[in-house]
Amino acid sequence: MLKIRAIVAFAAVLISSVSVTADVQKGGTANLVLLPKFLGILPFDQARRGAEEAHKELQNKGSLDYIGPTPENSVAGQIEMLTTATTQKKNVVMLSNNAGDQIAAAAEAAQAAGTKVVTWDSPIPSGKGETVFVAQVDFGSIGVVMADMAHSIMGGSGDFAILSATPDAANQNAWIAAMKETLKGDKYKNLKLVDTVYGDDQAEKSYNAALALVDKHKNMKLIMAPTSVGIVAASKALQDEKLCDKIKVSGLGVPAEMVSYTMNGCAPEFALWSFVDLGYLTYYTSYALATSAIKGNIGDEVNAGRMGKFKIEADPGRKNTKRILMGPFTVYNKKNVEAAAK
Amino acid sequence: MNVLLRNFHPQTLRVITLAVVLLLVIVFFVSQIDNYFSPRTLNRIASSAAVILPIAIGQAIVVMTRNIDLSVGSLVGITAYVTGDILAYAPFGPFLTLFIALSIGALCGAFNGVLVAYGRVPSIIVTLGTLALFRTFLVEYSEARTITTDSLPKWVVELPQTTLFSVGVLEVRVMVIVALVAALIFSLALWKLRAARKFYAVGSNPDAAIMAGINSERVVFTAFVLSGMLAGLAGLIFLARFGNITVVAGLGFELKSIAAVVVGGVNIFGGSGTILGVVLGTLLVDTIDNSLIRWAIVSEFWREALLGILIMTAVAVDTFMARSYVQLRKLVA
Repeated sequence: MLKIRAIVAFAAVLISSVSVTADVQKGGTANLVLLPKFLGILPFDQARRGAEEAHKELQNKGSLDYIGPTPENSVAGQIEMLTTATTQKKNVVMLSNNAGDQIAAAAEAAQAAGTKVVTWDSPIPSGKGETVFVAQVDFGSIGVVMADMAHSIMGGSGDFAILSATPDAANQNAWIAAMKETLKGDKYKNLKLVDTVYGDDQAEKSYNAALALVDKHKNMKLIMAPTSVGIVAASKALQDEKLCDKIKVSGLGVPAEMVSYTMNGCAPEFALWSFVDLGYLTYYTSYALATSAIKGNIGDEVNAGRMGKFKIEADPGRKNTKRILMGPFTVYNKKNVEAAAK
Repeated sequence: MNVLLRNFHPQTLRVITLAVVLLLVIVFFVSQIDNYFSPRTLNRIASSAAVILPIAIGQAIVVMTRNIDLSVGSLVGITAYVTGDILAYAPFGPFLTLFIALSIGALCGAFNGVLVAYGRVPSIIVTLGTLALFRTFLVEYSEARTITTDSLPKWVVELPQTTLFSVGVLEVRVMVIVALVAALIFSLALWKLRAARKFYAVGSNPDAAIMAGINSERVVFTAFVLSGMLAGLAGLIFLARFGNITVVAGLGFELKSIAAVVVGGVNIFGGSGTILGVVLGTLLVDTIDNSLIRWAIVSEFWREALLGILIMTAVAVDTFMARSYVQLRKLVA
């Protein structure tokens, strides 16, 4: 955590040196809704903690609701909850989108009725109905980090495969595309991506998919899983099959869930950003929008408390959309994973 | 044809057909996928089917009584999570743990059973409700924590790899045996035990069953309790196999179990079916599911769709065969 803080603070210093914007006013009234993909898993709960921290700090007289669908009802539930929040005249819905572009119509209706939609973690792919996307890290840089972890774990050459979440997850697909782009570089010319499979963010599907990869590709040296569910499932599968000497796992994971696999060498390196910070920054952005401190135009700046100032910019990954870039993230290995897991 | 019709019970014919289809499917995948036919593949499919088999058996018993249990997936999730949570505080041994898992499942099953059998609410409505209810309970209970392998006792973590005995290169895992033993017990009971035959009686003709003095409420109630208990067993196997349990555990298992049951020849309108058929149905569904991941031609989106197509085909063929069978019998006689 200390490392993240240090990097964040450093980034904040960099950014604040060019800023010229008024602060958000404390004690305003903004009714905000934090809507994760679904309830009950650790990363989203951490985002909630960050949002609650910001809620207290800003002494918001309005409400912060943490609502979300249950896992089996994620897509339809999100659309329904967004619509309900609109009818309730909430000021901003903070959405980690799991419904692809299917939610765009509901988001546009929300905007028309005066409810802003700020996405975080996973954006609306077309950007329709979205005010701004709070990006955890630059999607392009995730591609670089994943390619670099693959490069270092495999010693610069070999076959590897991707185990992703759902085939239509906007964030994972963007990261995979970014990684493929990075792999074209000369440094990675001996890394070969042989397959991409999906575990739907479910333990048993991811576990079986990881084993299928093992059977399918004899020379595979690494499974790259850019999802917190997939990475643990793959690690467990390889550990169960006693294959960790031959095949490693890497990707994006939560330290508390990954610690045993990193310590025993199954997953020597993985990366993640702070979901607490992501929730915190998303809250500050939404509050600033709700209290009209910012309009949500490109160039607007948000002064996000302990994290410093952030600017709204064009999203390089999606046409005609806006983002706020949080970044950076931490790479975990044997040295720092135990401390982060506590 | 005549000989076949005269000498074999339709259920036997169905089991033979299933076995042939399973064989054809395997031959097909062997021809399509490199290095497919190996002891490792068999082990994979057996271990994966061991999670589904107990649920499918429970589902079969419920379906035999003209009901359906849509809550099994959420039930697997609850048992896996809560049992894991208990083990993290008190590292019990295998037998006490098994008892705990079965009890949690049976308790939830009893809740379904009371509403269906005594409350007279259609089972599809009750279990659709509890599917969401149990999952929501789990979401609330979990407080977004993950059960991780390092919090579990050693025997649980090692269970998936514990081999009971080996036949040549084929290793027979304990979890596979546990699932098969459950299948054997229920198979024998449904075949020989008077009390268990009542499931068929109630499903085949509820009015006649009541006339014959069968307490049909109690039979339906028992079916749901058993289904819950078996889902509890599956939950324990799930916990041991995957180790890291979040609130999504067991999501979608209702579809898989219903597929295994109807493909296995249990009549969706109640009254007939065999556990041997269910075992074959489970194997077939799981073989297809696990092999499709390795078959490059089929895209991710189509795998779920294929499961749906399989269910519909099985029911359609079943209805068609039953009709032709009756006609053929008339002709032969």
